[in-house]
Amino acid sequence: MNAKTSRILALLLALMLVVAFVPGCAAEEEPAEEPAAEEPVAEEPALKAAMVTDVGGLGDKSFNDLAYEGLKRAESELGVEIEVLESAEITDYETNIDSLANAGFSPIFAVGFLMTDTVVKMAPQYPDTLFGGVDEFFETPIPNVVGLNFKEEEGSYLAGVVAGMATVDKFDTRLNDKNVIGFVGGMDTPLIRKFEAGYAAGAKAVNPDVQVIALYTGSFTDQAKGKELGLSLIEQGADVIYAAAGACGTGTIQACQEKGALFIGVDADQYLTVPGSGDVMLTSMMKRVDNAVYMTIESVINDEFAGGTNQVFGLKEGGVELAPYHDFESKVPQAIKDAVQKATDDIVGGTITVPEAP
Amino acid sequence: MSEPREGTVVQRRWMTILQKAGTPVISALLAIAVGSIIIWASGYDPLAAFAALFKGSFGSPKAVGDTLLKSTPLILTGLAVAYGFRAGLFNIGAEGQLFMGGLAATAVGLALGATSWWISVPLMLLAAMLAGAAWAFIPALLKARIGAHEVITTMMFTYIGRYFVSYLVNGPMKEPGNIPQTPALDPSAQLPRIATLFSEGAREALPILNLGRAHMGIFVALIAAVVIWLILKYTTLGFENRAVGFNRWASETAGISVQWTTVKALCISGVLAGLAGATEVMGVHHRLFDQFSSGFGFTGIAVALLAKNHPLGVIPAALLFGALSAGATTMQFEAKVPQDIIQIIQALVIFFVAAEEIVLWFVRRRQKEAISHAG
Repeated sequence: MNAKTSRILALLLALMLVVAFVPGCAAEEEPAEEPAAEEPVAEEPALKAAMVTDVGGLGDKSFNDLAYEGLKRAESELGVEIEVLESAEITDYETNIDSLANAGFSPIFAVGFLMTDTVVKMAPQYPDTLFGGVDEFFETPIPNVVGLNFKEEEGSYLAGVVAGMATVDKFDTRLNDKNVIGFVGGMDTPLIRKFEAGYAAGAKAVNPDVQVIALYTGSFTDQAKGKELGLSLIEQGADVIYAAAGACGTGTIQACQEKGALFIGVDADQYLTVPGSGDVMLTSMMKRVDNAVYMTIESVINDEFAGGTNQVFGLKEGGVELAPYHDFESKVPQAIKDAVQKATDDIVGGTITVPEAP
Repeated sequence: MSEPREGTVVQRRWMTILQKAGTPVISALLAIAVGSIIIWASGYDPLAAFAALFKGSFGSPKAVGDTLLKSTPLILTGLAVAYGFRAGLFNIGAEGQLFMGGLAATAVGLALGATSWWISVPLMLLAAMLAGAAWAFIPALLKARIGAHEVITTMMFTYIGRYFVSYLVNGPMKEPGNIPQTPALDPSAQLPRIATLFSEGAREALPILNLGRAHMGIFVALIAAVVIWLILKYTTLGFENRAVGFNRWASETAGISVQWTTVKALCISGVLAGLAGATEVMGVHHRLFDQFSSGFGFTGIAVALLAKNHPLGVIPAALLFGALSAGATTMQFEAKVPQDIIQIIQALVIFFVAAEEIVLWFVRRRQKEAISHAG
């Protein structure tokens, strides 16, 4: 066989391999296309609102997806035209904001604190465009920018109330007598510390003797690590575990399922976003990024956009809340539900101030 | 008599260059062709997609600037991996060396504060090079002395480096406030954007100078590519590097210290990856934080593979990857094609380059068998 034939053969082989592999690829692409393919509703859109995801992208089951939920709700309920651009790299933030601003989108939501610098840089270049920074705090006010922040500690306090009372209760066979509850954090940052602080404070308020063990994975993606820490917490006697660790939490759920403990989810209602987790999912601490986005769009429509401020969404503002108990609805004693309601009232009424650091 | 012979030599040189460049170019074209099929099969218009892709990567001076911006770290990490490969070493941990380079540049830049750029910039680049080399030195030593495989050790060092940076930006180096990042670098410690070097008048007269976000780091990368090419082609250091890559036993017999060459190769690889960290920090982010690299160390492996480990070939290979990445955002916005498709195309490029190697390997083996049968 001469060199030329073998080259042609090589090409043919390569092509065959590819043809064999295309259908799989195309099939995998299907779900990804949906958000982009969505066409805006007809009837004269009043407003063009858009968002730029951070590098986590859509499908993160966390703040990117939640912000998109808010955008979609604004589309269906307020008749707003929407667009979402994903960022693969940090250097895409600027290009994406540029494209959207030039195409006349306003407000533009920049999702995630990593985008703070970009918003600070870009907003003055587009003074007529409004910006909403999810999880972004702006030291120096910019007239066309609003920072959207959340009181994660308040929602976590409620999660702590549930965990602190559940661990000394007997409504489920997986609850033991050791009076220990666990917390799995992602990266050890001030933001995640807020979750831990609120959780511990809530648990101690209803159960002063409870022991709260907090462990950090150092990652938001490492599921194996999340599982490992979950197993270790259960080993140390924890029977309720709250995870604020992004995708690591999925690993912690597995640990709970294997070793028999209950789990409290974070950000979204994880009963709905993590299929098959219902048997351990006691509740979730929801960060209502969707509400914040929706309300901001509403404020633009009503000419009440709070530019130049940092808005804080707590329990009172509907920025954080506990998800339904779902499968545990009938099991959870009324006393716990009442305690959660009381804590909610006290926080909203200002009688309780939840600490931000442990 | 010299006239016609010289012509043939030049011709032959061009032929070898064409031959060498052939596979990567064909691979890239095939990848784009198959990518089109995938785009079409997913229900989008491939022509619109590639038109938008081109517009976003080369369609305007600003787009060219974006392509250069994204190619800069890839040239350096591509060089880092390629230089290791030429000595038969797989430096899979360029990412970790890049992190340490970024860290060293930031630390030096913050320590110097506001000063003249001709003091801070060279010192920061130097610090990054040393840090990258230092981070590669331990795996290199382990490889040379006890034969610990560099794929394992450099990868492990990547984790250590990343978590070390994560600790520092969350702790000792964190700026006040809730965001885990260092304070911003003084303008004198930044690599300026190319466009800012020209006066407004010059930029109006010559719009091509409006290169958007492209920064001086691209020149650092290009100079590095030429220097590595010269080292490999003309110096003893480079000769030993290549010799060990071809055949370590023969090199040993010929009196080359394989151990010492291994150490030097990985350290130089680390120098290049460290520089990539420095240019990202100094030219793009102007501060250090956890996720300042989008896996450039790993994409560098793909770049080196596409460049067939040729230091000058790394430049077009990195430009291709940079252009794909820069165009992806426009493609997403204008053609509504999810940018994940770009990752598929990038993977296809690698796939075709690798596929050719695999097929050729089989062909060569059959040829050898045929020869032995004939004998």
